[in-house]
Amino acid sequence: MKKTSTNVLPAEGGLGDEPLLAVDDLHVEFHTRAGTVRAVNGVSYTVGPGETLAVLGESGSGKSVTAQAIMGILDMPPAVIPKGQIRFRGTDLLKLSEEARTQVRGQRIAMIFQDALSALNPVFTVGWQISEMFRVHRGMSKSDAMKKAVELMDRVRIPAARQRVNDYPHQFSGGMRQRIMIAMSIALDPEVLIADEPTTALDVTVQAQIMELLAELQRESQMGLILITHDLGVVADVADKIAVMYAGRIVEQAPVYDIYKAPAHPYTKGLLDSIPRVDQKGQDLYAIKGLPPNLLDLPTGCSFHPRCPYRQDNCVTDVPPLYEISGTRGSACHYWREVLDGDQQ
Amino acid sequence: MSNPTPPGGPGLPETQTLVPDTVPAPAPERKGTTTKSGKPASLWTDAWYDLRRRPMFIISVIIIVILLVMSFWPSLFSGIDPYNARTCDLSTARQAPSAGHLFGRDNLGCDVFARTIYGARNSIVIGVLTTLMTTIIGGLLGIIAGFRGGVVDTLASRVTEIFFAIPSILGALLIAATFRGRANSIFLVIVALTVLGWPMVFRIMRAAVITAKSQDFVVAARALGAGAGRIMFRHLLPNSLAPVIVVATINLGTFIAAEAALSFLGVGVQSPDISWGLMIADARNRFLEAPLPLVFPAVFLSLTVLAFIMLGDAVRDALDPKLR
Repeated sequence: MKKTSTNVLPAEGGLGDEPLLAVDDLHVEFHTRAGTVRAVNGVSYTVGPGETLAVLGESGSGKSVTAQAIMGILDMPPAVIPKGQIRFRGTDLLKLSEEARTQVRGQRIAMIFQDALSALNPVFTVGWQISEMFRVHRGMSKSDAMKKAVELMDRVRIPAARQRVNDYPHQFSGGMRQRIMIAMSIALDPEVLIADEPTTALDVTVQAQIMELLAELQRESQMGLILITHDLGVVADVADKIAVMYAGRIVEQAPVYDIYKAPAHPYTKGLLDSIPRVDQKGQDLYAIKGLPPNLLDLPTGCSFHPRCPYRQDNCVTDVPPLYEISGTRGSACHYWREVLDGDQQ
Repeated sequence: MSNPTPPGGPGLPETQTLVPDTVPAPAPERKGTTTKSGKPASLWTDAWYDLRRRPMFIISVIIIVILLVMSFWPSLFSGIDPYNARTCDLSTARQAPSAGHLFGRDNLGCDVFARTIYGARNSIVIGVLTTLMTTIIGGLLGIIAGFRGGVVDTLASRVTEIFFAIPSILGALLIAATFRGRANSIFLVIVALTVLGWPMVFRIMRAAVITAKSQDFVVAARALGAGAGRIMFRHLLPNSLAPVIVVATINLGTFIAAEAALSFLGVGVQSPDISWGLMIADARNRFLEAPLPLVFPAVFLSLTVLAFIMLGDAVRDALDPKLR
């Protein structure tokens, strides 16, 4: 199995026109007793080597489901992928066999999770868990793998790594656990790392350290990073580009500074307006009106129209495509020009 | 020890000083961090720490150790070899206990003490082997059914329900009686009890695996490239083992009792092999004249079963963090 693995996917090297990882018109549905939940409805994004894509959105917007589809860790059933492609170096991962996908996971594309305590096996020491990556995938001996584990723990800045290698996950603090999770995920030098809300469970100062660590590791190894978050503050410092998701669709995609300067979708604008600011102290905080849509029964036309201040009649009937604003920028709003200009109606 | 001021300092209420200072203060540093040797505490080391302080555990372990020694080296306890027919003497049948024959003699004039000691081996061997077999078969099928789910799980679960519907003594009786004489009687008892015993382990393992499966670290292991076998045996197995160990320990006691029941009914261990169940069956006819040949093996049987069930209880309490 290990020998065939290298044949399944193109080796590292020149990419040509093909991006490192490209999600193309991905649809994911969950067939439940209550009906079909359309969690992801045609998401497309790409990430290149050394590039950081931030996927932004509220709970239930489909950002994590997209990531799980890339990793191939969705439970199918109930999940179904009726449409779309996930191309890694030009190969559609969705068409690969389960064995081939297992070879991709961890070695080529790795993932870290929100809650590192529950994502680590409680009955094994952290050293055992990190070194397992080397023993299983690289066939290293126990002692060599353990040495590599200590090296990795050093690399993710765990103090006194040599002494702590035989400790269990529950003996570490939240930030240290996330570092261990990161160490495991970068153990095999993946080309793409997906971080699913890596700092949500941590306090603010530790958040900054973890983001810094991720950015640094990425600079060293030139891996593509997909950062899934709902925290606009986390994104600004590290991301190159942003994809904003709403109800399973990408509503705006842009380089990070463009979005902060002038959003081109009413939802993005609402998100940015609802960040508390010092100069608004004492005033009511802005909030997007209404509730996130029910994924069992999405609104017709643009999913955002019941909450949108820019709504016109055709928003209720026509699904907006991702209009191209410039070469790197797109907005799924019929009236993006008005939003961009800021003349609210 | 003789230090007049308690380490708690002056802040302690006066009643505290009534506690004799030989009692060490409860060690707060134990809680989930490290033990004396500096070794980190896992579920198992924590459980071990807890177990060593339980009287129930200590008593049951002492009984079990004595039983084990008895079954491997019975000659340490009894100078008489009951497998040697010449040690029996019909003219002394049902003799009361005396210096050379602590438990007296049975209907055939054999030494009851020696037979009771030598009977431990078959009971223990049958109990241990049946437990091993049921745990391996039930555990393996339980992991696979719990992990795979779907059709595999449904199929395996229905099959276990069929087995559950069979009254176990009746089923074992049927199996043992059908194949009686075609194989070693001890082997037959193990097979009969295994066939009827594995579904219990299966259910527990399956339930534990389903609980463990939904935890994040299993998803994370998958996301980092672990295959099905690795997930089952490295991640699910160690995290589902605790309830299975508890049930296996308790089952060991009940299998020993079941063996005695089968032997008593005449389809278990066959003479000239010695078994407590067989001894009870033999002594039953003349119980009113000579109760001791029945009472002694019965007491040993009860003690053995009790010891294993107590051990199981102690282990369950130690492995369940919520009970600490």
